[in-house]
Amino acid sequence: MSERSSLAGLGRSARWTGVRLRLGAGLRRGIVWLPAVLVYAIGALTVIKVATPSNAVESALLGIGAGMLLAWGALVVYTIWSRRAPNHGAHCLDRYHQLQGRLVNALEFARVPAERRSPLMRAAIDDALEKVGTLSPSKAAPLTIPKEAGIVALLAAGLVGIALLEVRVLRYVPPTASSFKPMVMTADDLELFRDLTTELEQQGKDAQTLAAVRRFNQLIEDIAERRLDRREVFKRLATLEKDLTKAGEAEREATEEGLKGLAHELEKSDLSKPVAEALKEQRLADAEKAMRELAEKLKNKRTPPTKAELDRLRRALERASKASQAKNQSLLEQKEALEKERKRLLDKKKKQDNSLSAQDQKKLDQLDRQLERLDRETQKSKRSAEQMSELDRKLAEAARDLMKAQGASAEDLQSAAQDLNRMAKEEMTRQQKEELLKRLQEMREILRQQGAGGQQRMQRLMRFGRKARGQSGGPGGEQGGGKGQGQGVRPGQITPMLVPGEGGGEIPMAGMGQGSQGAGKPGDQPGGGGPGGKEWGTGHDANVGGESTELKGQTKDVVAAGVDTGEGTASSEVIYGAAQRGFVGRGYQKVYTDYQTVAERVMEQDEIPPGYRFYVRRYFQLIRPRE
Amino acid sequence: MSDTERARESIERFQKQIGLLREEIGRVIVGNRSVVDGVLTCMLAGSHALLEGVPGLGKTMLVRTLAEAVGLDFSRIQFTPDLMPADIIGTTVIDEAASGTQRFEFRKGPVFANIVLADEVNRATPKTQSALLEAMQEHRVTVGTKTYEIGEPYFVLATQNPLEMEGTYPLPEAQLDRFFFKLQVPFPTRQELHTIIERTTTGHHVEVNAVLSRADIVSMQELVRSVPVAHSVQDYAIRVLQATHPDHEEATEKVRRFVRTGASPRGAQAMLLASKIRALFEGRFAPSIDDVRASTAPALRHRILLNFEGEAEGVSTDAVIDEILEQVPESKA
Repeated sequence: MSERSSLAGLGRSARWTGVRLRLGAGLRRGIVWLPAVLVYAIGALTVIKVATPSNAVESALLGIGAGMLLAWGALVVYTIWSRRAPNHGAHCLDRYHQLQGRLVNALEFARVPAERRSPLMRAAIDDALEKVGTLSPSKAAPLTIPKEAGIVALLAAGLVGIALLEVRVLRYVPPTASSFKPMVMTADDLELFRDLTTELEQQGKDAQTLAAVRRFNQLIEDIAERRLDRREVFKRLATLEKDLTKAGEAEREATEEGLKGLAHELEKSDLSKPVAEALKEQRLADAEKAMRELAEKLKNKRTPPTKAELDRLRRALERASKASQAKNQSLLEQKEALEKERKRLLDKKKKQDNSLSAQDQKKLDQLDRQLERLDRETQKSKRSAEQMSELDRKLAEAARDLMKAQGASAEDLQSAAQDLNRMAKEEMTRQQKEELLKRLQEMREILRQQGAGGQQRMQRLMRFGRKARGQSGGPGGEQGGGKGQGQGVRPGQITPMLVPGEGGGEIPMAGMGQGSQGAGKPGDQPGGGGPGGKEWGTGHDANVGGESTELKGQTKDVVAAGVDTGEGTASSEVIYGAAQRGFVGRGYQKVYTDYQTVAERVMEQDEIPPGYRFYVRRYFQLIRPRE
Repeated sequence: MSDTERARESIERFQKQIGLLREEIGRVIVGNRSVVDGVLTCMLAGSHALLEGVPGLGKTMLVRTLAEAVGLDFSRIQFTPDLMPADIIGTTVIDEAASGTQRFEFRKGPVFANIVLADEVNRATPKTQSALLEAMQEHRVTVGTKTYEIGEPYFVLATQNPLEMEGTYPLPEAQLDRFFFKLQVPFPTRQELHTIIERTTTGHHVEVNAVLSRADIVSMQELVRSVPVAHSVQDYAIRVLQATHPDHEEATEKVRRFVRTGASPRGAQAMLLASKIRALFEGRFAPSIDDVRASTAPALRHRILLNFEGEAEGVSTDAVIDEILEQVPESKA
């Protein structure tokens, strides 16, 4: 090996040792200073997790931490790259191998130009080169992990532990604004529906109907108290409608069908014709009356019916009693014939490898449809027979007894009349249900329209309601009805209502009393111009009984009553006056009733689309007379 | 034979000669290897040594043995307060020839020897002490208008007693600076004392042989001068020297506090020459930083002057030097 290459090897060893020394120094300094950074990080993280400081403080803590980390990194880099003595690697090798500076001297003498090197310099270089093979940079500059590394590991583990630790802090979270938006109806509409339900409740005799009315009433009260949102209101309306319509329609149709069949047979006898006509028009009360009159006729021995009349009546009653069964039998026969034909076609199809001519296929399809229709009719007929079974039985007995004795037959007809009375009552219940159903549908439509109209429409309706009562509303409030007039309102029940004020915000205002429990007690204190009180007056006039009768006077009671001559204010004036002062007063009530009756009749008779009917009814609801 | 081989051979010869010399001295002087090496170092550097130690430690014996071992002229001067300069450098006397003519003739004093032992040099007056000045530095003596050369090698060993300071004249700084080393002769160990007692209280007598010639000494001195010094080693010696100055940036805490004056450039010269000799002693071709470190204390301890606080605190210059060696980095960018 030449001197040059040996010197290069010596230089490499020295440089590599130098690099290791730099790295070792960087490692040592890094590990010595890292605990400071980690301690800070642990502290900062603990503060952030436990004390939950503000964002600014948290950012500051993180910023300081990042700064410390950067400073630490810079320190390590500076340590590694800081300027060192030219032969610090060779010094280290000399020290480790106990070469007494041979390597440093050789490297320095090697930098002296060869011609200027003294013999001792060359000898010194040769002496050093003899040691090159034994040099060990890794041993001379070992990259040992400082003892502080244990502390660093502990702190790092602590930091990780704290980072993973979930600190649950009870934090007050301000309640979020409720998204509950109650369904609002104007006081006027609420009053309308309350009146309707009160009416239905008074009429209702059937427990089921009364329960439905009460549910409807509860719904109205819930809306008035703003306990329900739009979704809940519609849901409850739908449930109520579903319950009311369930099976009612089918029953009504079956009864109508049975009564029609009965009327058809009974009109063939002159005696039972009035009954038949009433039944045909579904006037069950009239039918009952006619049936009782027929029974009276049969009992009447002064002007008894002729034998021919009785015979026709007997046959009519017989046929009538069997009408439902006959119809049912006819339907079954038709069905049987159709099924036979269908079976024939199906067999044919089977024989022709599941194929039929177009004509036969068409016929088969028709048969299927007819069979479906017959099924429905049969079901209907069965129900009709069930509905009419009692009446049929009574009529059959009447027919049988008519052959023996007219008196017994009259008794049977009386029983049949009673049964008709029962059916009439049931019919009334049905009508009440239908009325309630209609009100439900109206309410649903009103709510739907109201939702579509938005807040402005609601405001308009409320203003309208106030005007309709002959009151004038301020822009942001509503005058209470506190003028000492009872007005049928429970003063204690004030419906809170939010209406837009002048500034656009909502101002709580006292609405109209929503009571419907009879006339309120007249207050004995004159009402002020302000909002009505929440309670009615508690005092009364000291002279509640009025002035005592002057016994000494020559008085006598005189009653004066006006005669309605039909003359008076014209309808147009009444309407104009109502528009100005509100829909109150007896005159207006009369005009309203006339107009509404006409409107209802027109709607019943003419083909008016349901949508328009609603608007007409709604119009009349809004302009209805107020008390 | 190449230059390198010749250099190697000269080094080996040097080592062998030093080995012989050590061995011969060791026959008389018990222990004190560091002092012996220090004395030899001063001799090979062509300079002088100041030995400090209590009486009876064999300082005179060491010098005498050295002189006998190298076959050089030796003279001993016992310094006393009444010693006059002429007593050491010589005096001019009237010499009457046989013919009856009279003439002034210079009678050389004891300084005209190759090895001079100036015993208890601090007991003489400064005037007498300074008489040694020219001889030590210039290796010549001027009397009147005539200068007399002192033959080479010339080696002065001065001793002083650190205990009896009463009636002494501490050597002036200029004179101290001319001593290459100040060697402190330690008290012998128990084993060494056993040997000393045995040798000196029995009929044991050792005849010291001259193992080296004057020419050998001169040759060795020349070899010492030819030893190369790496720049980093020289730089270290300089930085150590600078660190002895209290106003220098590398000065240590003790230097700043207790040192009045730092070492002169002669200190660095002494360190490096001593380092070279130390390297040669160990058969190396160039000195290392360790050699410099080993040479620092004897080379600088008498060149660093403590201030009043240092004296009052009893701080030794060796403690100051130890701190310097501890704090001055071996290599610097």
